[in-house]
Amino acid sequence: MAVVAEPTRNRRRRRSGPHARREARIGLLFVLPCFLLFLAFRFGPAVAGVLMSFTDYTLTGGGSFIGADNFTRLKDDPLFWDALKVTVVYTVLAVPGTIAVSVGLALLTRRAFRGSKVFRSVFFLPVVTSLVLAATVFVWIFSTGGPWSTAMGWIGLPEESWLSHDTLVVPALALVGIWSRFGYGMLILLARMQDIPRELEEAALTDGAGPWQRFRYIVLPQLRPALFFLAVIETTASFQVFDAVYTMTGGGPANSSYTLVFQLYDAGFKYFDLGYAAAIGVALFALTLVVALIQRLTIGKED
Amino acid sequence: MTLIHHRRSRTRAVAVPLLATALAGVALAGCGGSDGAGGGKGSVTMWTYPVIFDEAKNEAYWDGMVEKFEKQNKDISVKVETYPWADRDTALGTAIASGKGPDVVYLVPDQLPKYAPNIVPAGDYMPADAKSDYTDFALESVTVGDDVLGTPILTSANPLICDKRVFEAVGEDSYPETWDDLKALGPKMKDEGYYALSYTGDTAQTLNMTFYPLLWQAGGEVFAEDGESVAFDDPAGVEALTYLTEFVEEGWTPKDLVTTTPNLEQTPVAKGKVACTWTNVATDVEPFWGRENIVVQPPLTGEESAGYGTVGALSMLKGADTEAAGKWINFVARPENAADLEKGAGYFPARTSADDLYPDDQLQQAVAATLPSMNAGPLEEKAREVMGVLAPELQAALLGKKSPEDALKAAAEAADAQIAR
Repeated sequence: MAVVAEPTRNRRRRRSGPHARREARIGLLFVLPCFLLFLAFRFGPAVAGVLMSFTDYTLTGGGSFIGADNFTRLKDDPLFWDALKVTVVYTVLAVPGTIAVSVGLALLTRRAFRGSKVFRSVFFLPVVTSLVLAATVFVWIFSTGGPWSTAMGWIGLPEESWLSHDTLVVPALALVGIWSRFGYGMLILLARMQDIPRELEEAALTDGAGPWQRFRYIVLPQLRPALFFLAVIETTASFQVFDAVYTMTGGGPANSSYTLVFQLYDAGFKYFDLGYAAAIGVALFALTLVVALIQRLTIGKED
Repeated sequence: MTLIHHRRSRTRAVAVPLLATALAGVALAGCGGSDGAGGGKGSVTMWTYPVIFDEAKNEAYWDGMVEKFEKQNKDISVKVETYPWADRDTALGTAIASGKGPDVVYLVPDQLPKYAPNIVPAGDYMPADAKSDYTDFALESVTVGDDVLGTPILTSANPLICDKRVFEAVGEDSYPETWDDLKALGPKMKDEGYYALSYTGDTAQTLNMTFYPLLWQAGGEVFAEDGESVAFDDPAGVEALTYLTEFVEEGWTPKDLVTTTPNLEQTPVAKGKVACTWTNVATDVEPFWGRENIVVQPPLTGEESAGYGTVGALSMLKGADTEAAGKWINFVARPENAADLEKGAGYFPARTSADDLYPDDQLQQAVAATLPSMNAGPLEEKAREVMGVLAPELQAALLGKKSPEDALKAAAEAADAQIAR
């Protein structure tokens, strides 16, 4: 007689009774401080930001309610659409790039070997390095006569600075983004890979599966929850790209790397047009939410 | 025993989160607290920046001023806070918006129109004899409309500076005075592996220091006289941008600097590969060129000779104790008190009655001689928005993506829309 294991979720029963309720209350009390801080420093400012987007709030404060005027202005602002395009292109390059490099390095370092911990630490270093500091070095790397341009010359490409090129500037920034983020992705995927039972791969190996087949049919499906998490986190981070752009290109050349957050920054802190800046923030939030939902329906649909 | 232990555990279980909640509440209450200034004694908080590049010297100067002032004004206490130059408007704007701004702040002219609604006009506290003592350049640079919005404490100039070593290396013994002179240097310098000019086109840089001097030299202006529209797209603007574009196209200026601003030590300027520039000042290049190799020239002449200079001023923000803050500002602005700040930073007095700070310094004498040709930039509320739309279009023209005419026309349309808003 076959023994069918009961699914884990069915084994958990909701406990009830006075003891359980008391425990729940205590649990809620423990959560309360964090919840209050969240309300004050996350939720509150977010709601205030949304409210501000319906005003013409400026430095002097006391902005008046102007309905959806900021959003109408946004719709008619060519700079917003250009910035949105740049942000999307950056995201399309940076997110898959980061995930691909993260998967590759996690695969390389997942088995313990002499020095594997050193490699993992080294790969994680960019995550804890100040991006502003690193970006200053990348300005030199990408400059004409710098290592990157020189290397391009070796393979027969023009030796000009990618940061001065209207088409290549976003790929250059995406490379910096990938460099700064892959360590985090690698760590998440490594943790997930440690949980994959070795027996599964060993069985596949016995059945004659090659490395690619083992990766494609054993490892990759098991990574789906972690990949979904990474995709959402990386997409959110990419939509919010700012510091590298600010340090390396200032949004140039000729607005070729001008992103949505850069526009938000300019509107809010350069021109003190805080209502309009808040409207850009709301649009960015909506965009991130929609993309996260799409990712949920595609990559994360089984979770 | 078990029961007692169980009760203790329950007590602890409830007490710990309650205590944590109380602490969180205290933390939140602290966030919204008032300044809690004590009554009776007047107080002034001032925000400034490292005007003297050496921060220790800058701090020592202000500490000395505060000590001297408080000794003379025992009923007023002054606190000077020094912030980094970077993102100073972000910090100041946010502080003002949240009601936490300082009483007095160091501002330069192009900041004044933006903060005008928050500034107490200097006419409310500036003595008449002091007002008449300021140079025209200093006073006009802090006057927005009919209001003087700051008390000048120093002036500066960005003349054309040239690297003597580069000229010697190519066998050139005359330094450029006009657009044609500089243009003639272009091919000669290029043939010898040098650049005739270093121009910074990075959009993060203020156009006051980069493109506007060229525009003024061509006889153009950024804004129309009534301030209701821009004027940089007129023939003078096109001429200025065309002139600059030729330098980029011909390789007479480093192309990378059109889009990025590396650290100065990474640039051809610091490496001794550039003949002249107006986007750096003598104090910037001195560590790389050597003081003896800096040649100061008046701003280039096209239709006229004009360059960018600025004025450092102290402005009083609304909400300040007008009497106490006014006394402090007037005290710092006295020529004998401002002198150490000016000299420490390599700048110049804003008052006509001030002593010559550099009687034996030929370099500073040469820079001071260019002060009358300086312009502090347009004092219009939307000046920065205009820069925001103009700078990328200038880059587009310099990189050959647009003609100078088209770039300026596109920028003018966007700028006029900003002004009309």
